[in-house]
Amino acid sequence: MTTTVMPASSVKTTCPYCGVGCGVNLTIPDSVNQGVPPVSGDMDHPANFGRLCVKGSSLAQTIKSDDRLLAPMLNGQVVSWESAIETVSSKISQVVKDHGPDAFAFYLSGQILTEDYYVANKLAKGFIGTANVDTNSRLCMASAVVGYKRAFGSDTVPCNYEDLERCDLLIMVGSNAAWTHPILYQRIAAAKKQRPDMKVVVIDPRETATCDIADLHLAIKPGSDAAIFSFLLSDSVQADIVDHDFIVKHTNGFETALVQARASTPNLSYTADFCGIGEQDLVRLVGWWRDTAKTITFYSQGVNQSSSGVDKCNAIINCHLATGRIGKEGAGPFSITGQPNAMGGREVGGLANQLAAHMDFATPGAQDLVQRFWQAPNMATENGLKAVDLFQAIEEGKVKVVWIMSTNPMVSLPDTAQVRRALEKCELVIVSDCKAHTDTTAMADVLFPATGWSEKDGTVTNSERRISRQRGLLPAPGEAKHDWWAICEVAKKMGFQSAFSYQSIHEIFAEHAALSAFENNGKRDFDIGHFSQITKAEYDALTPVQWPVPKGRPEGTQRMFENGRFFTPDGRARFVAITPSLPKHQASLEWPFTLNTGRVRDQWHTMTRTGDAASLAKHTAQPYVEIHPQDARQLGIKDKALVRLTSLYGEVLLKAKLSRAVAPSQVFVPIHWTQQFANAAVVSNLIPQVVDPLSGQPESKHAQVRLEAVENICYGMIVSATPLSLADCLYWCRIPSEQGFHYEVVWPKGQTQASLKAMGAGQSKVTAAVKKTEWLEYSNPITQQIRVARLVDQTLTLLMYLHPQPESLMADWLISQLTINTALSVSDRLAILVGIPANVEEKGEIVCSCYQVGSKQIKKAIATGICSVEALGDTLKCGTNCGSCLPELKRFIPVVAELSA
Amino acid sequence: MLSFVNQADKRRLVIVGAGMAGSKLAHDLQQAYGHRYQILLIGEEPHVGYNRIMLSSLLANEISHADMPLVDTQKMQDDGVLIRSNDPVMSLNLEAKILHLSSGQAIAYDQLVLATGSRASVLSIKGACAPNVMGFRTWHDVDVMTQLQGCQPVCVIGGGLLGLEAAVGLVKRGHKVVVFHRAQYLLNRQLDEESASLLQTRLEQMGIEFRLGESPESFLQAADGNVSHVVCQSGESLAVSLVVMAAGISPEITLAKAAGLTTNRAILVDEQMQTSHPDVYALGECCEFEQHTFGLVAPIWTQIKVLIKALVGEEAAFVIEPTPTKLKVSGVNLFSVGRIQPLEEDNCIFFKDVGANHYRKLVVNEGLLVGAILYGNVADGSWYFQLIQNKTNVSDMLDLLVFGEAYCCAQVA
Repeated sequence: MTTTVMPASSVKTTCPYCGVGCGVNLTIPDSVNQGVPPVSGDMDHPANFGRLCVKGSSLAQTIKSDDRLLAPMLNGQVVSWESAIETVSSKISQVVKDHGPDAFAFYLSGQILTEDYYVANKLAKGFIGTANVDTNSRLCMASAVVGYKRAFGSDTVPCNYEDLERCDLLIMVGSNAAWTHPILYQRIAAAKKQRPDMKVVVIDPRETATCDIADLHLAIKPGSDAAIFSFLLSDSVQADIVDHDFIVKHTNGFETALVQARASTPNLSYTADFCGIGEQDLVRLVGWWRDTAKTITFYSQGVNQSSSGVDKCNAIINCHLATGRIGKEGAGPFSITGQPNAMGGREVGGLANQLAAHMDFATPGAQDLVQRFWQAPNMATENGLKAVDLFQAIEEGKVKVVWIMSTNPMVSLPDTAQVRRALEKCELVIVSDCKAHTDTTAMADVLFPATGWSEKDGTVTNSERRISRQRGLLPAPGEAKHDWWAICEVAKKMGFQSAFSYQSIHEIFAEHAALSAFENNGKRDFDIGHFSQITKAEYDALTPVQWPVPKGRPEGTQRMFENGRFFTPDGRARFVAITPSLPKHQASLEWPFTLNTGRVRDQWHTMTRTGDAASLAKHTAQPYVEIHPQDARQLGIKDKALVRLTSLYGEVLLKAKLSRAVAPSQVFVPIHWTQQFANAAVVSNLIPQVVDPLSGQPESKHAQVRLEAVENICYGMIVSATPLSLADCLYWCRIPSEQGFHYEVVWPKGQTQASLKAMGAGQSKVTAAVKKTEWLEYSNPITQQIRVARLVDQTLTLLMYLHPQPESLMADWLISQLTINTALSVSDRLAILVGIPANVEEKGEIVCSCYQVGSKQIKKAIATGICSVEALGDTLKCGTNCGSCLPELKRFIPVVAELSA
Repeated sequence: MLSFVNQADKRRLVIVGAGMAGSKLAHDLQQAYGHRYQILLIGEEPHVGYNRIMLSSLLANEISHADMPLVDTQKMQDDGVLIRSNDPVMSLNLEAKILHLSSGQAIAYDQLVLATGSRASVLSIKGACAPNVMGFRTWHDVDVMTQLQGCQPVCVIGGGLLGLEAAVGLVKRGHKVVVFHRAQYLLNRQLDEESASLLQTRLEQMGIEFRLGESPESFLQAADGNVSHVVCQSGESLAVSLVVMAAGISPEITLAKAAGLTTNRAILVDEQMQTSHPDVYALGECCEFEQHTFGLVAPIWTQIKVLIKALVGEEAAFVIEPTPTKLKVSGVNLFSVGRIQPLEEDNCIFFKDVGANHYRKLVVNEGLLVGAILYGNVADGSWYFQLIQNKTNVSDMLDLLVFGEAYCCAQVA
């Protein structure tokens, strides 16, 4: 592999967002006063070859956060590391002594590095003696893991990214890759452009941005995916496209699976009806499936987050086994993970139903093997508690100490109210995080300040089994420490000095590699024995490589199962008999709407990092609920109006987004907004703790809800120099901004200039007396607008806009006025109540985040005769950087063409 | 001796009143049709053809005498206009077409224009006829005020435009001024309470004291006949050296009435500015058309144009159009047009920036702008006026209307 020589102040590292795992070049500023220069894509990294999506491109903007956790805290007070570690280790020791090892639990994250994972797993399973090590990966790919293990005997992703470019049929199931895995999507889109014969099918209840490149979109009934693959299995036999030789030589259980498939999905029309799709559409898919040997089924959360997620995975895998479309170029069942290091966690065994290094508690001899390798005094002997069970056990008082690391269960786990009750009940909640304020740090008794991306060293594994380095370059701020260091310090304090006295991170990686190879001899898929003696210099120079990397095979492994050998005891893959089933909760009169959840383009997880980049808030500024216009009309809900969603478990308040992308009776809500950004937008409040019985993965993409328009309200926007407490608002959302604080709010009806001014005046305690405060006011009873601005010493400190209906006002210019230190000009004093200076072009809603190009600019350019996305790019630059807005840009083009026709 | 003889080829036109309306008529008519008219302009004041609007600036010492002329009287005379100043007309014989001047001279005319203007209303307050109770209408009034030496207590009756201008001028000259105003707020014909209070604050900062909702009870006269004290309704009495009456104006129609022309509040005219007598016309503050009298310059200038056409037999008709009031009080620009006191079915849009001395109120009715008050920044005044004039439907720009033309027109484009 070629390696570009980097300047001394630069490193190659790996993006901390999705599971694509793109290589990133990070440069430190020339002087300490400068910000980190924008990152660039690593041309040499095989995941992205230099490309970055908009989130990755904006990484530098997220490095300097105002909200870093800088010192250990105990009950809200700053304490020393020594004292915090003493508190934690003695409490763990005490509860283990009094209540047994299962009174302690780790709740980890797909964002921590493999080395962090490794020491946490080792401490819990080998030294404390509990398998209560679960992780937010439970929420994202636990079903895929179990699906692979049932079929292959190992958690092995067979394919690689090149296969996506080389297949002739790509079936994307439950994945909006255009937004969630943008670089993979762009690789696919580029391949399809080059080979227009390549077919792309999207199976998703919603018409997502990914459908932009689809030849066929099957908008299935939520959760009905398995039926499609059940039918494809029986049809493969019918059409005689099965690979008899492969089935006979390399698999078990084909007949049983086929019988059940035939029973479950007896014919095409039954299947189409079960899935709620047109028969003709299913016929097309079946035809392509029959004709295309090089088929990849690419699946993600839409499959996994389900009460029958594992079965769905196996329904997919069954089809690939039956047709022998596995272990070959451009073919295979390809699960894509959502987190940067969910795969690393799986490799370490950092899940409650795994032991270590792709060994389970049930794996014969595994407990003994690991015990000997670790020289472990207190080996756990059985599976621990999976995420949802874990938090239930905490509430029940069975688990008394939980150490949450780098994740935000108060936002991400279903039934937030239950999670809150659990953490309130828990005797000691330890939270390790970079951020001072998250919904979860708010629940902590002990806070450990952690180093973050760009500061810490370690490895991550992406969705194609590729191990890459994350490299630290910037100094740790304040007292922040690496997570592995904190774990080892607690371990040592608990008396496990010799097993946790690592001098350097590479020693942990070497030990992890050595364990993977320990008495392996090809029995286990995960073997990176090549690295078991890795030196610091080698570790620092590590280039991306796909495991397995056993001793003697430093080049790693591109594709798995090429020899048809699997990791079951008899080396044969297993068919699993599947009966497709729908989500546990179904619509009722009381709960008529089916809620689906997912990501938006420019945010990631709970916005703890993307929320620091103002530019990333432009695409979708506020949380929303996507509603079909027909339902909205019936409920009297207007676009952008405030809607209350209620389920049996809680409620949220969101802005309506009317869209035909969702089917009638279905709604979609993004997962990202926390209480740090909005008062009532955590969608997990609505979601029941329904899990897949095998994987324990919650059915987070499914809840039954009720919708209503919120009445007697007015809408507002606030721009403030200081953070505000918005208790008077029914709804508020803070939109990340370059300067100051930008809120969208909803007030109860009946506000006046006076009431707004009173709210504003209540916010500033210090300045009013000393400095000259003025109010500017605008009121319009016809439009029912009220706007007030507060100037202190002639500079803007607070703006409040009120309007009867929701409006999309561009706040950029207003926000920029917050930082002007000279007195505002007379015309600007007027303009701050208008929202724009008289002579500035209004951009409209931002479509291209990279170049900040808005809808109005695009429409204007098109009006001048531009009629292609490429030409738009030439003129406005939109879409020419990360390209994630291309699907949206395309939608601008035909509209105008129709008009001019 | 005035030479006003009957020239065979020219008609004799006499203009009574050499104020702004009369002087400008004489000037414009001479310019356009001097070959057809022998014009005589008669004024009661010694000064002729000056710009009365500038009196407040003159009082405030902001301009000199040289800045006062409205028309170049010397050039008019060179062109053939005859001017008789300081010689009021005493009587008028419509049948004989002859008028008599104070100087005793009788003048015959073919056509007559009355431009006698108006006078300050004198309130029926005891002592109001004292020598140191004066109006604020003429150059002479300014001369009297200018002669007031040192720091004297002065009382201004009336918080309308004239009263405030007098008050500002006097306070700038170092006097101590109290303004009585019967209404609850200043300039109540042009402003609303909000803008009036902004103005009041500003004028108070200059040192003017206001007594709103109050008229003096009486004036106490000293032995020399001059008013020495103003007695308030509360019984309190304020020492004064001078009282300026600025509580409204009355059209000057004594001469017309005596001559038998039809009058109401003022001299009734038709749409060609003709009075009840075919050869007699009237214009300016002394005329009344469709129950309206006139105090602002703009309609009077229109009247001049109409009258000139009527005189030469061209078609022209005067119509009443809403006229914006553009004022400048103590450096603050004010603009007021149309219906500024909203009716029940009207809506008012407000913008208020006290710190920048900037206030706007727009009165809107069923998609039409019907009234506007601008205080401080009046740049958009003429645009609002056009919207009112043209009855432009403003429904689509209601959310930006108050912010002015720059925003609304940008939106249209």
